[in-house]
Amino acid sequence: MEKKLDTEIKIYEENKQNLLKSDRGKFVLIKGNLIIGTYDTYDDAVKVGIDKFGNKPFLVKQILEVEITGNFTSNLIACLP
Amino acid sequence: MPSVTINSPDLHKEGPVLEVHFLIPLELEKKYKEEGKEVPVPVIVKALIDTGASNCVVKKEIPEQLKLEPTGIIKINTPSSKEHECYQYFMRMLIPAHGLTYQGPFIGAPLDGQEISGLVGRDLLKHSILIYIGYMNQFTLSIA
Repeated sequence: MEKKLDTEIKIYEENKQNLLKSDRGKFVLIKGNLIIGTYDTYDDAVKVGIDKFGNKPFLVKQILEVEITGNFTSNLIACLP
Repeated sequence: MPSVTINSPDLHKEGPVLEVHFLIPLELEKKYKEEGKEVPVPVIVKALIDTGASNCVVKKEIPEQLKLEPTGIIKINTPSSKEHECYQYFMRMLIPAHGLTYQGPFIGAPLDGQEISGLVGRDLLKHSILIYIGYMNQFTLSIA
């Protein structure tokens, strides 16, 4: 079963190299199969997403060569499946 | 800069825990009101200020209660797991009595222990001043 944002992640990966050339470090907004635009800040991208799509899933992702991983040093996040 | 100071009965035992309100983003609330849709009521929970957390986290039930859709996917590392994918949600966090407000991405994840439902991580703290006075069982959080 397709998870939410699977399509958007796929579109990002397919276009990543081109996005890195033109907009490295910026934030891309993707909805379904469409790249809506790139923005200087996360907030700018999300606000455009909310304005256009309301409360529907859309992807805002920073265009980076290497993914930034979240790190949590305490054991407060329970065992993940 | 708005701030809140908490005097804890036992800061060592409890940690820097705050009561916070989670809401849908301001822009979405405005849109709901324009469309005549019902705005979900705030979810009021306890959150722990965690300088060991790179990002803010909420129990995944909270965005579900607010009926929010995800705006991202992030991989996280914890002491017990590596590169696990979680959804991110753009949410608003308030401490209304003290005028503190923050809007940003929150990772939805299962939280365990200490009766907390959120972690205030360094992505929020980069906009803040945190003063922790252990021997006085007191801490202050200011958010720009």
